[in-house]
Amino acid sequence: MAEYRSVKIEAGRGGWGGPLVITPTEDKPLIYSVTGGGIHPVAAKIAELTGGEAFDGFKSSAKFEKIACAVIDCGGTARVGVYPMKKVPTVDVYPTSPAGPLMMFIKEDIFVSGVTPDQIKPA
Amino acid sequence: MRYSTVVTAVGPLLGEFLAERIIVLFNEDAPEELREFAVIHRPDDTFEEVQPGDLVCFGSHDPIKITAVGDVANKNIAALGHAIFKCNGKDEPELPGDICLEEVPLPEVEVGQTIRIEAGG
Repeated sequence: MAEYRSVKIEAGRGGWGGPLVITPTEDKPLIYSVTGGGIHPVAAKIAELTGGEAFDGFKSSAKFEKIACAVIDCGGTARVGVYPMKKVPTVDVYPTSPAGPLMMFIKEDIFVSGVTPDQIKPA
Repeated sequence: MRYSTVVTAVGPLLGEFLAERIIVLFNEDAPEELREFAVIHRPDDTFEEVQPGDLVCFGSHDPIKITAVGDVANKNIAALGHAIFKCNGKDEPELPGDICLEEVPLPEVEVGQTIRIEAGG
């Protein structure tokens, strides 16, 4: 049986929202990287510290109910709202504030932005 | 030619974004949840950085001039075939992913249509 640990993720410089505490479980093991160019270093660090499984959302598809958190590099309109809308804790590597057609779903308890590996600490 | 691509699918929630004068593009690698509101497309290998003053052509509709390009917009196009067109006429992007277009009626987007971005002037 895998052992999972928690991390606390705070907003970085110019960022918004959070802090989020992420704890993968057997049912939700995936750290889902929906970023250009493969697994983002932020997703890699969350996976490393929690024992979760880093997963590239642009390479293959995952079931939503298996996602512990999503890591995005969204410039503000689309991905930034989709995952919060689906109640998936969302970590944006850009310092985005709520905006766009889905902004009503973007709340501090499900979204944090401006995150670099330095904002991810064991909890 | 900066970019050329063919529309292969249109998400069922596209209309909600069109109502806000926004068109979101992703290439065919996009996961299911992003396809719901996006235009999915298959680009050829052409890519040059998009700049203000360039023209976007949806099929045979009149070209629409680009008025601003956000800091991460070109990276999004190159990595993910991802673009966010906002038909708001702004000359400063509101968000770093934005590509702002002049404020004209948005064209219909349909499967099989070619979307091209061409150098302006």
